[in-house]
Amino acid sequence: MRDSAAVLRREARRHFTDPSRPRGLLVAFEGPDGSGKTTQRKLFKTWLESEGYDVVTTKWNASELIKPIIKSRKTVRALGPEEYSLLHAADFRHRVEQVILPALWGGKLVIADRFLFTGLARDVARGLDLDWVLRLYEPLLWPDLVFYFAVSPVTSGKRVTATRTPNFYEAGQDVTDVDDPVESYQRFVRRVIREYESLALIFNFIRVDAEQTIGEQHRQIRDLFLKGRQRPWSDWNAGAVAEWLAITGGARR
Amino acid sequence: MSAAAARAKGRLIAVDGLDAAAVHAAAKAALVSPSRGGISRWDASGVFQDLAVAGAGAGAPSARTLLLLYAADLAFRLRWQIRPALAEGRTVIAAPYVATAVAFGRAAGLPRTWLATLFAFAPQPNGRRFAHPARGANALAARDGFVGFGCERMARVDGPAQGLLIEKTAAYLRGADRLRPRR
Repeated sequence: MRDSAAVLRREARRHFTDPSRPRGLLVAFEGPDGSGKTTQRKLFKTWLESEGYDVVTTKWNASELIKPIIKSRKTVRALGPEEYSLLHAADFRHRVEQVILPALWGGKLVIADRFLFTGLARDVARGLDLDWVLRLYEPLLWPDLVFYFAVSPVTSGKRVTATRTPNFYEAGQDVTDVDDPVESYQRFVRRVIREYESLALIFNFIRVDAEQTIGEQHRQIRDLFLKGRQRPWSDWNAGAVAEWLAITGGARR
Repeated sequence: MSAAAARAKGRLIAVDGLDAAAVHAAAKAALVSPSRGGISRWDASGVFQDLAVAGAGAGAPSARTLLLLYAADLAFRLRWQIRPALAEGRTVIAAPYVATAVAFGRAAGLPRTWLATLFAFAPQPNGRRFAHPARGANALAARDGFVGFGCERMARVDGPAQGLLIEKTAAYLRGADRLRPRR
């Protein structure tokens, strides 16, 4: 890390507030399983591209480096709550450095299908301390917009179990001690939704009623995006960008 | 404390350092009675073994990512090796434990407070030992340990930068050793 943190922070601010270049935008889709995020994310991406945006999508637990590590351990049910949390935070950090920040620096629009709030909601539902989990994700990178797909535990359960049986960790069987995955899911998703509802208040998510029709939700998201896209760049992100500039050694500049 | 609880109270000894061979030798020396204890080594979970076989296209991890993985491995060691042995009243030598990772993180420029929070789940050891390589032999000594592994794989850390990172880590470890309580 050759450059001082203060210099790199200044460079981050200068880059992201320069009116002569398109500013990268980060939009996160959050919500419990079965809330329809993925459907809406695909519709939103298609619409953005038709509007001329250069769009990059990143999904939860999807880094080429860490995903295979998590997958193999989930298969044999080898993860305790701390390991589960730490491995997902590692996956997230790697995607921030390899995918999200390079795209934002290049002026692209990044859609995150789940963001760090997924880690917070699930890990706290597993009994971990919110403050500890939040600090794993430092330096924090705040999205420009967070769409929270609010759905009831009953609807989430119906949608998820309509076509398949939830897997061991999705159902929270590592913490509920319930043998039946469907019953375990119903219990676990209540905890996850309770945490999401708290996070939605703390972090001021944009709430989308995910019980509406797909078309109604999509129209609402378009309107909210058009209103929210002019928000100024958050200076809270200077630390995250500065650290990334330091580890990339200026290669992106 | 009941007699049963007293009998069940094990001891956790942390042995930290750059040099995997020296750390292992110090761990064996610290284990007075092998029948009443054991050594917990890094990468018991195989996370770093899996990381080593990842293709170059997966991207090089940063120091922060490597430390999150080290913490995940340590959580595994605590769950499957260290805590069960302590509960049986055995002595566990954790080699390496937290200090090696913290020194590596400090050398890479990560905040002390973040590192302290990251490893807050790890219990304080009953004793600490350090195994330092001879002066001038840090780079060679680090080769087979976590620090050497991390330096080799980190994003944009070339030969000279690797050497500097190892030297800084060694300096932080010597500093931690100086600060440890002596009997």
